[in-house]
Amino acid sequence: MKQFLVKGWRPVDAEAKEGQETLTLWNKLWLGLTFRQYLSQAVRNPFNWVIAIIFAIGIPLVLYRFVFGLGAVTHSSNDYPWGLFLSFGLFAMVPLSASGFMLGTAVEIFGRHDFEPVERLAMLNGLLGYFFAVVFLLVDLGQPWRLPYPMAVAFGPAAVLFLVGWHVATYLTVQVAEVSVSFFEWMNWPVCKKFIRRITIGLTVSGIILSTLHQGALGALFTYAPGKLHPLWYSASFQWLHFLVSAIPGGLCMVIVVSTIVKKTMAWRCDERFMANLDRLTIALAKGASMGLITYLVIKLIGVAHDNEWIYLSTGWGSWYLFEMGIGVVLPLILFARGIRYNKVGLIRFTALLTVFGVVLNRLNTALIAFNWKLYQDIPHWKEITISITLFTLYIVTYRFILYRLPILFEWKTQPAEAPEAVRAKTVCPTQSNPSPAGAVYRSRD
Amino acid sequence: MATNQTHSKPSLFQLVLLVAALLLVTVVTVPAAEAPDTITLNVLAELYEPVVFDHAMHADVAECAICHHQTTGQPEAGSRCVRCHSGNETNASVACRDCHVAEPFSADYMRSKEVDSERYHIDMPGLKGAYHLSCLGCHTEMGAPTGCQECHARTAAGDETFRADAQAPTGGNSH
Amino acid sequence: MSKISRRRFLAASVAGGAAITLAPTKKALAATFEGYSEGMGVLVDLTRCVGCRSCEAACNKEQKLPTPDLPFDDPAVFDQTFHGGTQKRRTTEKAYTVVNRYEPKDGSQPVYRKIQCNHCNEPACLTSCFVNAYTKTREGAVVYNSKVCVGCRNCMVACPFNVPAYSYSSAFNPMIKKCIFCHETRLKQGLPPACVAGCPQEALTFGHRNSLIKIARERMRHQPGRYIDHIYGEKEVGGTAWIYLSAVPFEEVGFDTTLQKEPILSNVKDFLSTVPMVLAIWPALFSGFHLLAKHKENHAGDDHQNIDEEAHK
Repeated sequence: MKQFLVKGWRPVDAEAKEGQETLTLWNKLWLGLTFRQYLSQAVRNPFNWVIAIIFAIGIPLVLYRFVFGLGAVTHSSNDYPWGLFLSFGLFAMVPLSASGFMLGTAVEIFGRHDFEPVERLAMLNGLLGYFFAVVFLLVDLGQPWRLPYPMAVAFGPAAVLFLVGWHVATYLTVQVAEVSVSFFEWMNWPVCKKFIRRITIGLTVSGIILSTLHQGALGALFTYAPGKLHPLWYSASFQWLHFLVSAIPGGLCMVIVVSTIVKKTMAWRCDERFMANLDRLTIALAKGASMGLITYLVIKLIGVAHDNEWIYLSTGWGSWYLFEMGIGVVLPLILFARGIRYNKVGLIRFTALLTVFGVVLNRLNTALIAFNWKLYQDIPHWKEITISITLFTLYIVTYRFILYRLPILFEWKTQPAEAPEAVRAKTVCPTQSNPSPAGAVYRSRD
Repeated sequence: MATNQTHSKPSLFQLVLLVAALLLVTVVTVPAAEAPDTITLNVLAELYEPVVFDHAMHADVAECAICHHQTTGQPEAGSRCVRCHSGNETNASVACRDCHVAEPFSADYMRSKEVDSERYHIDMPGLKGAYHLSCLGCHTEMGAPTGCQECHARTAAGDETFRADAQAPTGGNSH
Repeated sequence: MSKISRRRFLAASVAGGAAITLAPTKKALAATFEGYSEGMGVLVDLTRCVGCRSCEAACNKEQKLPTPDLPFDDPAVFDQTFHGGTQKRRTTEKAYTVVNRYEPKDGSQPVYRKIQCNHCNEPACLTSCFVNAYTKTREGAVVYNSKVCVGCRNCMVACPFNVPAYSYSSAFNPMIKKCIFCHETRLKQGLPPACVAGCPQEALTFGHRNSLIKIARERMRHQPGRYIDHIYGEKEVGGTAWIYLSAVPFEEVGFDTTLQKEPILSNVKDFLSTVPMVLAIWPALFSGFHLLAKHKENHAGDDHQNIDEEAHK
């Protein structure tokens, strides 16, 4: 991309370049480059070669799984029915995707329009996280072609998984609708966009309901296995709250992590508004994540106290639990406090990564490592790990594909007349730690 | 599926048949002194050959009551049975199969037990259970044979059921 | 349907509903389900089992399971261990029941323990299934319908006894494989399951679950000192159709004695009860927040006044 930027090329960010005719879908698909030019930059990018290697090994393995069955690629067993696909792909991906409903709530419900520069990124992060959680699920299900059965064929409404299924399906629909605004802008379908805009509040509130319930429901799934999950990770009364509350820092920190990657690797795609506000918003997101983390820490302690599990803390499992809590909750709290106090955005970004790691570790511990603690430790098959990496790479590729094109990191200029308005957003100081009053100048809407 | 116990027929004129009949045939409704020497038990005859039980030998090594409870008129001292059964009376029948039914889990038998609220013996083993519990318990204590095929040879149907054809590969059953 | 008839219909429904609601009945619904009264069960007396594995052979034949790796009379299976020697044999897609040998701590005779589905009164597998593939039949069996199973394997996670197995080896029609109490072929006809019929020692006693508990107590009363004073499965996870008597502590012969007495479902009820509340309360709560925020915004300054109105027109 850099080569083209040097030559004066700018990625497509409007329906028509000034003084030129409207761009075709083909033009937009290749960001205003010719297909040949686009291809040449893709080939030059070493990251694409890494992806190619992963896909070259991983995609045949995915096919292999569907031809020869789960037994051929996983260590999923009668004792460990859920392996890496679900513990990582579903249980860890979903909390990291809570960003959509968090930012939706902040902007649409509480009117914090100063978060708008990252709102769409958070929405997309949510949508893709959920979508790929379902992809992981499809790979893991014994009969994936029956996925719609709980919606249409046979109903088990008293089952937690029934709720998870319905909520994830409806919430995916809600998220598609939310993110579709960007798509409609890109496609230049203003009527559709207007329709979605009209139902935004409804979508956002349903997003909160569905997220509350299924983030919690994923935790509640483990209340079926009281004797199998180690008591320190199990709580009959609070499991769903532990999952819900940890999803808050998880989702917010994921936005910080993704925005950091975007800023470092995709600066050409970000507009001034995004770049200028990112540091300030990172600090604001870190404040939200800190509140989530401290709440999580407290309710986790209450969980231990409620079931009187202090004795377990002195065992090996207790050390592992303390490590998870220390590195994923307590340390991030301290680092976030320093980062926010001294405006150290770099420290905050690192801490966000740490928090994301902490949430992933918690889900892996719950679903895989501390599960069956009385039996034996399951170590995922290398093919299982490779397929997981492949699917996660597919997630990254899809993420990047959309970020390149849709107006997520930049504003779509429908009419040249709107341009000056967008420029206004630049005036805010990037490191200003105190967000300006709600909805002051950040506007992305027509 | 019941014990094959009928009166002997001394009028049989062929020696071979007589020997065979002696093996198969026994008299049970007799006092202890007149007990049969051998009893052929074929309750499990489906998977195993009938057992030729050497009653005389067992009568030498154990009190009647060990197997026959109070029915032979010689109850064990302090036995629970004598609280209700007088203990010095010989029952009309002392054969196992006359109390221990061959089909203890048949719907009819279970219903008859449940309908009869006065019934004391709600936990009486079936015939197969009574044999094995009685025999194996003693055999284990006395160091007598306890392997299945040490008492009764398995039939072809038994071999099939026990999958004697199964080959032992390395490893084990998959988990 | 015309408006009038619909109204009439509604009126009739309301009247009917009111009649039912106002009827002075005092009959309350039970808080928990403790199994059908006519449900069957099996009493397993561990003191009687001699480890002949006739039950395994009978099960294999009745359920038309594949040839085992070793014949059913090969005692070598008792020495098999898995996962670094930590695990004994368990139920698999090829074996719905297995008998394991345990050496009691007091050095007495080895104890054999049969494992199969315990057919819970309120089964965790059933309550965790989102396509309702499991049914607790009136006869007491927990049966499974592979036609609707999606293969999420939540039932395996939920089963407190680690019983259901999955045919991972099948790519196109994998399914749960577990003991179904010989429901179709025997139980429905009033016959005991094949394993019970095959047991020479009557270590397995078939009958109504209610009667079996009486029988178990009778055995404990008549043979004082023979048994541990506990009927495993009478109360565990809400009660199971298969119940156990043992001479040695249950935890020494592979039983999980830490299981709760309430059905597994009771753990999940906390969460399930929040679901309708969230659905009912959140919309008003968050719409209210939105209105409050908007109100504040509208009064915060002229500069911001139109923004929201414009956005949400």
